[in-house]
Amino acid sequence: MRPLNLLALLLFLAGVTWALTRSPKTVRSMQATYYRTISPFLTVGSDLEVHAREYLDEVEHSRSLEAEVDAMREDFGRLKLIESRFRAIEAENSTLRRALDFKERNPFDVIAARITRRQPTTWWQTMEIDRGESAGIATAYTVVTDGGLVGKIDRLGQERSTVILLTDEACQVSAKIEGSPEVGILQGQREQFGNAPMLRLRFLSPKARLQEGMRVFSTGKGGVFPPDILLGEIVRIETGPLSTEALVRPSVDFQNLSTVFVLTPQKDPSR
Amino acid sequence: MIRYLASIIALVLLAVIVQQFLPALTILSGSRILPVALVFLCASVTLPAPGMLLLAFTCGFLTDMENWLGPHGGDPEVYEFPVETLHFGYSIVLYGIMGMLMQGIRPLFLRGNWQLSALLAGIAVFLYLSTEFLLINFIRGGFSFGDKTLLKIALSSALTTLFAPLVFWVLFDLAERFHYTIRLDTSRRRSG
Repeated sequence: MRPLNLLALLLFLAGVTWALTRSPKTVRSMQATYYRTISPFLTVGSDLEVHAREYLDEVEHSRSLEAEVDAMREDFGRLKLIESRFRAIEAENSTLRRALDFKERNPFDVIAARITRRQPTTWWQTMEIDRGESAGIATAYTVVTDGGLVGKIDRLGQERSTVILLTDEACQVSAKIEGSPEVGILQGQREQFGNAPMLRLRFLSPKARLQEGMRVFSTGKGGVFPPDILLGEIVRIETGPLSTEALVRPSVDFQNLSTVFVLTPQKDPSR
Repeated sequence: MIRYLASIIALVLLAVIVQQFLPALTILSGSRILPVALVFLCASVTLPAPGMLLLAFTCGFLTDMENWLGPHGGDPEVYEFPVETLHFGYSIVLYGIMGMLMQGIRPLFLRGNWQLSALLAGIAVFLYLSTEFLLINFIRGGFSFGDKTLLKIALSSALTTLFAPLVFWVLFDLAERFHYTIRLDTSRRRSG
């Protein structure tokens, strides 16, 4: 081997060792810098993409969209009214709980975000949204829709962030089953490339009394996801000698998501 | 050579940006075109070993920057069996191995056989994705390698290979602009 090639190989190996020994915290910080750097290109590109999609949608469904917007306006007004009442009730509830010395549940605010990229990587089930650190989002915040849990924030940029979806194998949720004392861990499965990915609920007791159609909710244990968020519905039960597992259909239609909500801690729940 | 190498690194950065806007093709089993890998594979055959290694480090580093996911977190008493993620930096190793594979056929490329290099680029993408998936299996346990995965890898490789002639054309153009000699010996074909 020529001396120059040998030197290059040694430098390459040194670089590889350096990269492999970085801690997750350092990598996160490097990723934040990386996303900040490429952010202007991404913003311009995704804006163009969103405008093009919106234009095509409008051309195709302008009348139905108009009707939908009218209906949404009505809903928005009604929901604003409900929200103001909800806030008042929540504040009152909070006071009463404190008075009764109950453990107060963490209230949340929501930040609406648009999906800018779906499936940006080959093997991970992720998507990107157009809100980041500047909107008050942080790593591991929960992402939901009106249908249930979507996932949690993983990579964080100034103006955008990556959401690891509930359908990814690495996204685990402590889950409970409606009408049953059973608690397990719900997670996505490897090689789920189709339009209807299924989740697997594991570590249930071997004598678990389950039925198809039972709904699955988050327990709130483990400090990652808040409690009582709908996750899905049991479609198949697999009983084994040591434990029972269940296949769960997610409550969220991941193929047709366009807007999601990020749960952020409420600063002043009494307001 | 320095200016040619710098222009290739600029091309890689452009490929990184382009890759951001290339969606996964759901009708083709979620396959996708991988411009960064393609630029690296085509360029690595035009460069000597030190240049190829520098490029492998750059591409692997940027790929991991883009794709690396953090640990799940949460209370270990509840999440007793967290799913492991691939360590940051693994892509640099994979790119290095693919680059060495491409360097193996460099003598043929220098004699003018760029078509073979284009084909090998497709094979290298196939090997890269297969190895990446096998690594996931190895780290997370529970081996699975179904038909859908194989189809996704094969289609991604085939789609990426289709653009290899275009990348080689850009590379030849860059080499000419920056007076870098790739040393294509076409005299034998002309005389034949």
